[in-house]
Amino acid sequence: MTERRRIESEVDEEIRFHIEMRVRELERAGWPFAQARAEALRRFGSVVETRAVCSASDLRKERRMRMRGMVAGTVQDVMTALRALRQQPGHTAAMVLALALGVGSATAIFSVADGVLLRPLPYADVARVMTIWETDARTGGGLRTVAPANFLDWQERQRTFEAIGLAEPFGFDLTGDGPPESLRAWAVSSGFFDALGVRPVTGRAFAAAEYASGAARVVLLSYGFWQTRLGGDPGIVGTTLDLDGAATTVIGVMPALDHPEPRDLWAPKWFRDYERFDREDGHDIVVGRLRAGSTAQAAQSELAGIARTIAAENPAANSGVSMVPLETHLLGSVRPALLVLLAATGLLLLIACVDVAGLLLVRYGDRRRDLAVRAAIGAPRGRLLGQLLAESLLLALLGGAAGILIAALGVRAMLQVAPDGLPRMDAIALDGRPLVFSLAVTLLTALLFGVGPALRFARTEASAALAGGRTMTGSRRTLRVRSLLVIAQIALALVLLVGAGLLARSFARLLDNDPGFAVTDRATLQLFIADRAPTPAARMSRIRAWHDHLLDHPGVTAVAEVSALPFHPTQIDVVGPVAIEGRTADPDARASAQSSIASPGYFALMDIALRQGRDFTQADDADAARVAILSASLARRLFPAEDPIGRSVVVGVMGRPQAREIVGVVEDIRAIALDSEPRLELYIPYAQSSATSVTFVARTQGSAAALMPSLRERIWDVDPGQTIHHAATVESLIGSTLALRRFNLLLLAAFSLAAAALAAIGVHGLITFAARARTPEFGVRLALGATRATITLIVLRQATVLALTGILVGIAAAAALSRFMNAMLYETTPTDPGTYIVLALLMLVAALAAAAVPAVQAACTHPARALTR
Amino acid sequence: MNEFANLVRGTLHILILRTLQDGPQHGYGIAARVAAASRGDLGIEDGALYQALHRMEERGWVESEWGHAETGKRARYYRLTRAGRQRLRSELATWTRYVRAVDRVLEPGG
Repeated sequence: MTERRRIESEVDEEIRFHIEMRVRELERAGWPFAQARAEALRRFGSVVETRAVCSASDLRKERRMRMRGMVAGTVQDVMTALRALRQQPGHTAAMVLALALGVGSATAIFSVADGVLLRPLPYADVARVMTIWETDARTGGGLRTVAPANFLDWQERQRTFEAIGLAEPFGFDLTGDGPPESLRAWAVSSGFFDALGVRPVTGRAFAAAEYASGAARVVLLSYGFWQTRLGGDPGIVGTTLDLDGAATTVIGVMPALDHPEPRDLWAPKWFRDYERFDREDGHDIVVGRLRAGSTAQAAQSELAGIARTIAAENPAANSGVSMVPLETHLLGSVRPALLVLLAATGLLLLIACVDVAGLLLVRYGDRRRDLAVRAAIGAPRGRLLGQLLAESLLLALLGGAAGILIAALGVRAMLQVAPDGLPRMDAIALDGRPLVFSLAVTLLTALLFGVGPALRFARTEASAALAGGRTMTGSRRTLRVRSLLVIAQIALALVLLVGAGLLARSFARLLDNDPGFAVTDRATLQLFIADRAPTPAARMSRIRAWHDHLLDHPGVTAVAEVSALPFHPTQIDVVGPVAIEGRTADPDARASAQSSIASPGYFALMDIALRQGRDFTQADDADAARVAILSASLARRLFPAEDPIGRSVVVGVMGRPQAREIVGVVEDIRAIALDSEPRLELYIPYAQSSATSVTFVARTQGSAAALMPSLRERIWDVDPGQTIHHAATVESLIGSTLALRRFNLLLLAAFSLAAAALAAIGVHGLITFAARARTPEFGVRLALGATRATITLIVLRQATVLALTGILVGIAAAAALSRFMNAMLYETTPTDPGTYIVLALLMLVAALAAAAVPAVQAACTHPARALTR
Repeated sequence: MNEFANLVRGTLHILILRTLQDGPQHGYGIAARVAAASRGDLGIEDGALYQALHRMEERGWVESEWGHAETGKRARYYRLTRAGRQRLRSELATWTRYVRAVDRVLEPGG
């Protein structure tokens, strides 16, 4: 019977009763039945209308009451769920932690993937944009930046590109109110912005005439410079900057771009005459935009043809050409890594759901009787289910909220430790899409971990529990499946831990590496001085003035000069031939060495030991005999069996080949990075060079970083107009070469710790569950005289078996997989036994710690109560 | 037969609420009580009475329950709720003020 029919029949019955009563009253007053009935109906009025009005009214009332009941029921469900969650705070915390780790890592990685991969690149129709590189014509490999003459030939002869352009790294000195400053710029040829498909966000791009030499001085600002240095000042267009001493007009601001790598300014590039013949000096970035309808293959083969023609016309040139789509160039290496990370977080999230489902089963088991009684006294099954699901949803929301917190911290940390040069880091933010993602993931997890246990419980448990009182949620088979899941979790966590451990060990080994020079308490300041002191003599006197003024600083104990400091990002590669004088044709007597210019005292200041001979002195000046100092390995290479001191070498860099007498040999240093092998080094004295840049190195008392501002002031004391190109402590220079390794290490460490925590929670859930199921058995054992320690051991043994199985599987998997990370390791074998043993023990301890609570609880079983349960 | 029919329709609620103040009653009982108390002057059309009762139940002023009448038949009994009691108080106050006002207007020389 439908609700409406029931209500109508009730209304009918009510009306019938009324009519009967009225007829009876009239009959008592003497009316004959027929008239009495007619009179009763007349007094009633319209039966049909009354019936309809009353039924409709009743129906509305009942519906409203039911709705109110549902709302009240839901509120009650939530309150009950809250109470249930509060009752076992440890349990709840474990579940929330598991979910937070799962949702948090997934959200963090998703927000990175969203920023890097999903947000559109700022280039119009990016599929048509190609980056174009030189290659080594002989080997065909190795993408190199482009020499200007090659670009000009490509530009002139190609037909497949709609636009092609070049950007050259360039620098300006900014002077103005504050101390002078060195700005980094790209000088771009016409066609460069068109090829990229970018336009200024405000102002205009360069006009054709502005690319011609001698044109009015104009620049565009980079987006980053505009935002961070000028606060995004909207009125910037039309103002002027003092660049290299000339007023230069800002004509616009370009959008934020990742290719070419961000710099401060954009300037128009005009080609000097010699550049039209320069095929050696490739520093330039070239991009082209394919014509609509032409393909990358067609363009590549056209460019290859042009390159062959160039090679035929210029026998000295040996460059090939290769093209990489811009999208691939920017994201090609990152995309697979991010997808792997996303998959990994998805796995972590699933594991978290499995953990929580396991813990929920324990919890439902504990409340079995309570729930069964409620079912028995008439709570409908739907209500029970609703209550269990409310609990799951509440858990998921708590976990999700904590997860977003973890994600926010994680993303912030990731951006902080990320090495420079990772693409699109500025597009990463924990905002709209990632937050929606995380909410969706949260709700999904509630479904994943909540519905299964709740349904299972509502279906099988409620009635069985009341009848027998001693059922167990889950059969033996599901227990086995859950054991396998936990084993897999432990194995996975161990694989990740081993990966992180190997990276950590490599990192430690790397830090143990002696670079060959002092690292702490050394400050460096690099200056380019050619503009302000055109002659070598003038430069020497300025260097001396700065040297003395820096040494005057109370916090400085020694000062020396060098042309390029080890680990310096702007280290100038001056590699050239060195040969023993008189044997320049003998390949055994030749080597290619890195030339550096050093002042007297540099080796002592940097603790680079002098092995043989002497250091440079003030007497080694421009008028004295030319001298040189070799690094130990260069000395070994050139003079394997002889004493090099007093011999002469011909050095062929920086001008004409020159003979120099060897006066000393110093220890090798690792000059590029801690994981690079020492190079062959040759040092010549400052006074005998025509160096246009100088790096002052100061040994400081106490923190070099703290002294840095006052050291800069000392430079400006001598010449307020001098730009300081780069200032850093030696320690931070080394640190920056380790940034990528540190990033990889921290990322993997965070992941593996999350996985290990989830594995421990999984062990905890499963062991608790198994121990509860054996409570009656423990009761019997205790009653028969078993000690509490025995019971604890029984439970712990179960956990140990589980953990050891997982650990063995994990070790095998790690041993098989870790060789793929060989390239990331440093002096560490992928099967380094120490790492495996330590981490396996760590995992075992974590698993046992997770099992300790249920083990102790099991030992506290009350025999009598367990048996009557 | 009923000169007050139109006037009564507007005051049906107050009559029903007042009647139920003396205890739960079924629809016929309410009609009979009103007729008896008014000595037959206020003959309410029975259908209207039921429509009013159900609407009042929807509004929460009365609630109903099936019981057995003196005759042994099943009958639907109505009872005042707390909201119904409040409603009665406020309607009585309004009614009294209304009657006094009308009286004053109609009093000769008033």
